[in-house]
This record gives sequence, C-alpha cells and structure tokens, in this order.
Amino acid sequence: METASFLIRKLAEDRVALLGALLISLLVLTAIFAPFLATHPADIAEFHPVERLQGPATAHFFGTDRMGSDIYSRILFGARITITIAVIAIGVSVLIGVPIGLIAGYYHGWFSDMLMRTSDIFLAVPQIVLAIAIAQTLGPSIENVILALSATYWPFWTRLVYAETRSLQNEVFIEASIALGAPPWRVMLLHILPNIMSSIIVRTTIGMGGTILTAAALGFLGLGAPAPSPEWGRMISESREFLPEAWWYATAPGLAIFMVVMGFNLLGDGLRDILDPRIRRSRAHDSK
Amino acid sequence: MKLLVLVLNRFFWFFPTVLGLMLVTFTISHVIPADPVAFVAGDNATNEQIEALRAQLGLDQPVHVQLYRYVLSVVQGDFGVSLYTLRPISHDLASRVPATLELTFVAVLLSAAIGIPLGVISAVNRNSLLDHLLRVFTVSGLAIAAFWLAILLQLLFAMELGWTPLQGRVDGWGPDEVTRFYLIDSLLMGDLDIFLSAASHMMLPAITLAYPAMATIVRFTRAGVLEAINSNYVMYEEAMGFPRRVIVWKFVLRNALIGTVTQIGLIFGILIANAVVVEAVFDWPGLGLYAVQSILQSDYNAIMGFTVVAGVIFIVVNLIVDIAHGFIDPRESR
Amino acid sequence: MTMTGNGLTTALRRLRRAGVVSLTSLALGITLAAAPVADVEAKNTFVFANSSAYDTMDPHAVFDVGRVAYRINLYDGLMRWEDNPPVLNLWLAESFDITEDGLTYTFKLRKGAKFHDGSEIEAADVVYSIERMLALKKGAAALFIGTVASGSTKALDKYTVEFNLSKPSAIFMATVPEIHVLNADLMKQHVNNDDWGSAWLSTNDAGSGSFKLKRYDPAKGFLAERFADHFMGWGDKYLDEIEFRTVVEINSRVLGLMKGDFHGSDGYMPQDQIIRLRKSDNVNVEEQESMRIFYSIIHNGRSPMNDINFRKALSYAFDYDGFINNILSGSVARNPGPLPNNIWGAPKDLAGYTYDLDKAKEYLAKVKEPIREITIGALAGYGQTEQAAALLQNGLTKIGIKSKIVAEPWPVASGKMRDEQQMYDLLFLWKSTYYADPNNWVGEMYDGASIGARNNSWYKNPEVDTLLHEAQTTTDTALRERNYAKAATMVANDAAGIFIYNTKWFGPIDKRAKGFRFCPIGNGQEMRWVYFE
Repeated sequence: METASFLIRKLAEDRVALLGALLISLLVLTAIFAPFLATHPADIAEFHPVERLQGPATAHFFGTDRMGSDIYSRILFGARITITIAVIAIGVSVLIGVPIGLIAGYYHGWFSDMLMRTSDIFLAVPQIVLAIAIAQTLGPSIENVILALSATYWPFWTRLVYAETRSLQNEVFIEASIALGAPPWRVMLLHILPNIMSSIIVRTTIGMGGTILTAAALGFLGLGAPAPSPEWGRMISESREFLPEAWWYATAPGLAIFMVVMGFNLLGDGLRDILDPRIRRSRAHDSK
Repeated sequence: MKLLVLVLNRFFWFFPTVLGLMLVTFTISHVIPADPVAFVAGDNATNEQIEALRAQLGLDQPVHVQLYRYVLSVVQGDFGVSLYTLRPISHDLASRVPATLELTFVAVLLSAAIGIPLGVISAVNRNSLLDHLLRVFTVSGLAIAAFWLAILLQLLFAMELGWTPLQGRVDGWGPDEVTRFYLIDSLLMGDLDIFLSAASHMMLPAITLAYPAMATIVRFTRAGVLEAINSNYVMYEEAMGFPRRVIVWKFVLRNALIGTVTQIGLIFGILIANAVVVEAVFDWPGLGLYAVQSILQSDYNAIMGFTVVAGVIFIVVNLIVDIAHGFIDPRESR
Repeated sequence: MTMTGNGLTTALRRLRRAGVVSLTSLALGITLAAAPVADVEAKNTFVFANSSAYDTMDPHAVFDVGRVAYRINLYDGLMRWEDNPPVLNLWLAESFDITEDGLTYTFKLRKGAKFHDGSEIEAADVVYSIERMLALKKGAAALFIGTVASGSTKALDKYTVEFNLSKPSAIFMATVPEIHVLNADLMKQHVNNDDWGSAWLSTNDAGSGSFKLKRYDPAKGFLAERFADHFMGWGDKYLDEIEFRTVVEINSRVLGLMKGDFHGSDGYMPQDQIIRLRKSDNVNVEEQESMRIFYSIIHNGRSPMNDINFRKALSYAFDYDGFINNILSGSVARNPGPLPNNIWGAPKDLAGYTYDLDKAKEYLAKVKEPIREITIGALAGYGQTEQAAALLQNGLTKIGIKSKIVAEPWPVASGKMRDEQQMYDLLFLWKSTYYADPNNWVGEMYDGASIGARNNSWYKNPEVDTLLHEAQTTTDTALRERNYAKAATMVANDAAGIFIYNTKWFGPIDKRAKGFRFCPIGNGQEMRWVYFE
C-alpha cells in the first residue's frame, strides 16, 4: 500500500499530473474567494440593462451578458455551483456504489446477481439519457441535477468494487482472515476496502471530470439552475441567440469547463499511473 | 465451450435487463409533476376537456394497470402515442433512427480513420514532442464539452467563414428514401447536388461527435502498439530483418487493433451520450433531437420510448462486441 | 435544387447524373435502369423558416400561433380574419344571418366551392367539422364547448348551415374562422376506432385551402402546391408552391434569410437579429403593430398577493424602461393594461405604472400580511421571460422582497397555471391573438367565471365580472367597447398583473416577394396573396 508521502513525491515528479492538480486548486480557490476576486460581485443578482452585450475591456475582462452583468465575476461564482454539484453527486455515488459493490462481490448467490443486474440496468443506458429523464421529471434545479447524477453514476463504483473484491477473494491474506473467523463486515472494511482504495480514488478523480461535463450539458439543455444563476452550461446556452456578434459570451464559460475537466482528467491519469501497479509496470517498460 | 456459456449467459440476461430498464423509465415518468394532458388539450381547454382526454389516454388508470399495459405493448413494439401529436411513437422513433445512425457511423469512421494512425505515430515516437502534443490533443478531446465545441465550430466555419451550413441535415427535402442514409440515397438517385449538400451538413456534427471518440481511440491504439512493440514476438520479427515500418504497420497494428475494437462499446457510449446535445445544437433530425424536443414538451411516452430504444441499441452493441471479442480473443472469455 | 433550368445546365446535370449513377451501380455491383430525367420546371416556391415543428397536420388538433401555417393555407372556414387591424371577411360563406335573440346563426355557402379532391363543399361538411371538434375536444374546441352543443348544428339544405347556440355569445362570430372545414366523405373513409380519422389526418390533407399538401415530414415541415380551383379565385400573380420548414435555431433562420435560402420567417426575433437582417441585401423587414401582450400573471388568490398594496409594490418594482429600451432595444411599445393598445376598447387614458422604487416601498409598507419569499415563474427556452423575471427580482431585492426564479418548459407551466396550489406567485408570458376581440384578452384572463381555466390569476372582481358578462352576451358594439375599456381600467388599477408591452411584428421577407398582407391572427403566414416579382 502506498503511503501519502510516496504519493505526493510521485505526483511531484509527474509534471502533467501536477498541472492537473494545479487546475483543480485554482477551481477550489476561485470558488472560495469568489467574492474577493470578482470585480463586480453583485452582478450575480444585479443587472445593468444599459451595459448589456459589451465586449471584453478593462471594465469587464470577459465582457458583459444579456442582462449587462460582468461575465468574469459570474464565472467565478459559477465555480461554486460546479464544485457543489460534482462533489455532492460523486460523494453520494461513492457512498451508494461502494457498499453495494463490496456486498455483491463478497457474497455469492442470487442476491449478488440481483444487485449487479440492477446496476447493469443503469449502465445499459448512457448516463446522460437517464439523467435527462430524471432531471426533467423533477423540474430544473441544482438539487435535481445532483439527484439525477447520483442516481445514474453509482453503478460505476459498484462494478469496479465488485470486480476488485472478487479478484481479492482468492488472495491468501483474505482467505486467512476468513478462516480465522473474522466477521464479514470486518473482512470487507479492514481487509478488502483498504486494498481497493487506490482504484476507487482513481475512478473518483476521473469521474469528477465526467460529472462536471454531464452537469454542464444538463444546464445547457435548460435542466439545471434557473436564470439568473451563473451556471456555466446555462451561460453557454444563453449566448446562442446573440452569436456571432457576442462571441465572448460563450467563450469564457466554455474555457472554464474545459480547464476544470482537463484538471481532473490529468490528475486522474497521473494517479492511475502511480497507483495501478499493472500500468506502472507497462510504463516502466515504456521508458526502457 | 466457455464461449458458448458466455453467449448464452449474455442472451439470458438480455431480457431481464431490458425489462428492468422499462421499469426504471416508467417509474421516472410517473412521478412527473407536469400535467401533459393540460398541455395537449390546448390553451383554452376547459377542465372537463382535460379529464376526458386523460381518460382517453388511459392516464386515469391506477399506476400498476398503466405499467402492465405499457410493458405489454412495448414488447409488441408499441410505445404508445405521443402525448403531443397523438402519433405512434414507434413511427417517430423509426423515422429518426437512420439520421442518428448515419451520423454515428460517419463519426466512428472519422474517429478511426484519424485516431488509429495518430495512435501509431504517437507510440512509435513515444516521449517525443510530437507524442506530447498528441497527448494534449487527445486529453483535450475528453475534457471539452461537446456542445461548446459544436458552438465554436458553428461560430467559425458556418457564421464567420460561411464554409458549411449552420445546421440541419440537407437543403430542401433530401433524396428519395431507400436506405434513409442520405449520403447513400443521394448517390443511388444519382443526384450529386443532394449528396454534396448532405455531406456539407454532415461535416460539423460529425467532427464534434468524432473528437472525444477519436481521443479514446488514440489512447488505446497507442497503448496497444506499445505493448505489441515490446513483446517478444516483435523482437523476433526485428531479428529476422523486417524493416521497422513494415513491422509496425503490418504486424504490430493488427495486434493492437484487437484492443481497440473491444473499446467500441465504450466509444459507442460516448457517441450516443454526445449525440443528444450535438443533435440539439445542429438541429440534426435524429433520436437525440427527438429526445430533447420531447423533454421540452413533457411528452413522457416519447421520453420513455427514446430511453428504451437507446438502451436496447446500446445493450445490443455491447452484446455483439462481447461475443465478437470472445471469438477474436478466446483468452478473455473466462 | 436550382430554380432555373436552361439547356446547358440541364444537359450538364444529365451528364453528371449519368456519371454518378453508373459509378454507384458499379460500386454496388448492381445495374440500375437509366433513370428518366425530368426537366426541372421553374417554380415559384416560397420557403418559410418556422421556429416550431409541425407535429401534426390536423387543423382541429392544435390551436397555437407557432403552427398556424397549415391551418390557414390548407384549410378554409366560413369567415376569415384579414389585414391589420383585423377585419372579419366572408370566406366560404357568401352571406350570414343572426336572429334577434343572438342564438341562431345561419350561413349560406358559396356554390361550387371545391375541396382538394374536386368534390363540392356542402353544408354537411361544416356540420361534420364542428361535430368533430366538439367530439375531439382539442385545439380550438374550447371556444365552442359550452356555447355550441353536440348535435345542435344543422344543414338546412345543401348550402345552408345553421348554428344554434345554447346561450348568446358576442364572440361566436369572431371565432367562426376557427371552424376549419373538412371533407366529410373523405374523412369517413379513414376512420379507425371512432378516432374521427385523427390518425390519418395527422399526416394528410382533407381541406379546400389555397394550397394543397404535397409532402409532409414531421421532422422537416411541409410542402404544398397551389390549388388552382380555390373558390376565392386567383389574381395574375401567385406562388406555385409554399414550403414551411422547421428551423429551430434562430441563427439558422437569420443566416438562411440573408443568403436567400428562406424567403420569410417568424416576426418575433430578438432585436439584435433584426438589426443584422436589416443590413442584408436580400431581406426587407416589415414592421407591423401586432396584438400580443407581454405581462406577468400575479396569483391574486394567495397571500400576500391578495393585498392590492403588495401588487402595486410589484408593479412599481419592474424596470419597464430598462426592459423595453435596453434589453429589447425599443422594439416594442409600452402597454400599460391587459388590452393591446391597438384593439378597439383599449382604454386610451390609462397611465399605468412606472419603475419607481420609492412608491413601491410606500405601498409595501401598507401591506399587513407577513412578506415571504416570492416565486417568479418564467418559460424555459424563452430568454425574454427569464430576463424579465431577473429584472423584476433585481427590483424586488432593492425594496427588500426576497424572490426566486423558476424557469420551466411551457407544458409544465401550462399545467400548473390551472391549479390554484401549484401556480407560481408570478409568471411572465405572452397572450397572443386567437380572435380579434377584446374578449380574447381581458375577457378570458380576468373573468371570475373562468378561474383556473383561462383566468390563471385567481382574480375575482364582481364589478369586472358584471361588465364582462354584459359584453359577452350583447351584440351592441358601442356598449361592448365601453364595458371592455372599463373592465381593463379596473384590472390595471387593481394591479392584477404586471402589464409590460405590446409586441411589434418584424417580419423578415425576401425583397422579391410582394403582395404580403399581415394579420395578427394568421401571424403573417397566409400565403395566397404573396407572389415573386
């Protein structure tokens, strides 16, 4: 098992993963300090019709939108929404998906089969399709986007944890602890879970990127936060009727989404290289 | 023998999975807060009118009765009627499947035609500047929001430069429908104008859709080629004095492609997911656009129909990929 | 498709086709019989880019402005609204007669008027059509249910039809154009399980209109050719074909118009797009005063909006000027009451409300009930309603009222509008012209008798009700005008809604197209008068 210091040392060596970590830190800092960094912090709820649709300038770094609000300031506050959605949705998915995967993997029988088939049903349809159906049904709001994403993303962890648990079961130390009479929950929590943690971390990091993209797509389709929320996907969809004149309108929020997702993907790739021994081997091979 | 077990197992689970999917969509659509009937009845409808229509559509029945009727009719290929137009949904869906399939096929071809060579180049020149640039390019493909890319392409190529149409599938009515793939039908008709029109309309949506799929292909091809190059087998070929170019493009690639083919299921998933938003931006008259329009109209019969059809297409593709993979590489079918 | 086909290009086309055909047949390994090449006939086809999809071709199934084109071009009624301000003209009817008690309406049909299949239009067809509407209960049926009973309409002879109303109705005449006459004999061949031929008619044509359906695809739109035998006859100049194509994205419509691919499109585009269109050499932008008011419903039945002082505070907290002049670039006209300024009966001296936060605070101070957070509804996908909601929220925040915005698609909103509990506190939307009579607005929106159905404000004022009911049942036009004006003034003084503007119609039309006649009811989409120069 890798220790934290090993992880950090390895990450520091991987410049690309480091860039990913940097982008993510930028997002987090932006979200926390949005009120101080914003040039027009009131503009998430205050409008100036006279100044609408002005191009980028010193007064408005990224221009103004259809209500005359400062796009730069709105992007900063939008980071809060992005983080909230991604963290809660992924958190809930992990909390649902991991235990189900552990149980289905540990026990053998019809119950395990049923759990896995249920998760297969959710995996049978592309996530966004089900998420759209759910978000539409519940009505457009951030809470419902989170709910829709959580309800459709948990099977990814279930399947991962299930597969890893099954392959660990034949390991000597697991068999030994079962033979010694350890209760199942103990085996699962103290012996299996720590050994599959690295896989979960990698999947979660990469999953963050995917979740942010799906959430933005829901916002774009009008299923996310209502106006005048500075949600990035919604800002892009608002901009469409003002193109091509207001080219800056869609540019900034699109770049913001791109950078954040890129950050999670790069970090996820880096983590996988470090944590997954199989790939580490092939990488070593690679550099030979 | 193991292969047979795999095939039987997959077929056995096919029906419960589809049934479960129907259960899920039915559940979702029946907690719907909107009253689609009021909308269908029209702007000036009276409340009696609405109730009469509700009864006509069977929406006044208990939920379990509705579910039973729904499953029974879906099994017979009947998704009910659209709450909006009262037309059979199976007709609507059937008329839109070809547009989505045509776009998806072109996108797959495009992503493979570009992605595989790039993957090989990237692997052969590993850790070079070119490899790093290609890595940035592919990682970007998985990080960019498809709808944003679509808008950027529209902004540049359709609005500023005027090289391509902004959206739609063809100018005018399109070709006589034989295969209902416009690129093929227009050639069958012998009408080059329609073919060019269809091809130019296809360009931007196909590129948008292909980019993330291509990124995936580049990654897997690169990994596959690297693994093959480092295998003993290739070292043997090298020792036999084959030129390196021949080895890479002939022997290595063939082996590496097996790995890529197995990812078709994954790539297909990316394509279907992105097709929903890409079709919406480009007004491409396929399944995705139909889904988005149905959403705006709270036409939940249509949304359920779309979800089930998309799910079945997806399940079938994965079934074929699994079985095909079992044939190509029997080791994996344990 | 090229519209001109001179000898050389035709020959080239033929050659190219032959080449492609042989190539394809080679490629497919099959031999195709040489396809006969029809000469491309030069046709005048007017292509209209429509923002909504034509989901159905049944004229009795829907009653909205977005899909009016097939109703008005493929079908006819006894009467028809034309021009602006709208005038009710004789159409399929050559005369009509109303009895003294206002209960019996007798129409004489033109003799020799033909359906698209060549059969004659008879009184029985009109009877069939109204019965079908009443039975299906969809689309415009709501205008007649309660006034016209099933089985009460009679064909007195081949050319005479008699409507027997169950109660006097001043608006019946105004709604007669919505009874689109179907070919009853043709319809009866396509009935399936008492569906009144609905399945068949949703993709077919059973009308007599100026144009005859040629092609229809719900995903694309429809193409119709001129019906030369139409009973109204034709002038020297006309269109051979009309095509209504669904083009959802506004940018596509604008670019297509500028390139000349489209010859017309909807007239309610954002002003930024109108400015772009005006710069184009191909397009004229026709400007007409329309009758489509933009306002916010206020739920008058719920606290604290049931307090007139609170409603007045709301009315003073909206930045009318910023909305009309900045956000909409002055493309619309301020309309202070529930009647469009340009309809008869609209009160002339109504001052209305202004953006005045001091006054808003003054009225707010008089509210006794506790103030809570207000829900402002907007229609998803209709940017203007969202912007108006955001602007109102801005004003409310400044006077200390908390609010949240809920944007939901029209089907969801229209469902909630009928339910006293589910209805939003406020909801921004438009009220279009379905028939050109003041009753279309104030009479539908604020009549206490239609609360929950068409009165979605839960507004009840006995005085207004008396005025409206008197106006709805008399044929005395002067009295009606007075009553509607009074009612509209009272509604505005009660601040029953936030009344914002009356739309102007900016219709982009190809410069070569002439003869265009705008009417708010057909939304400028009646094509029989149009021709290319």
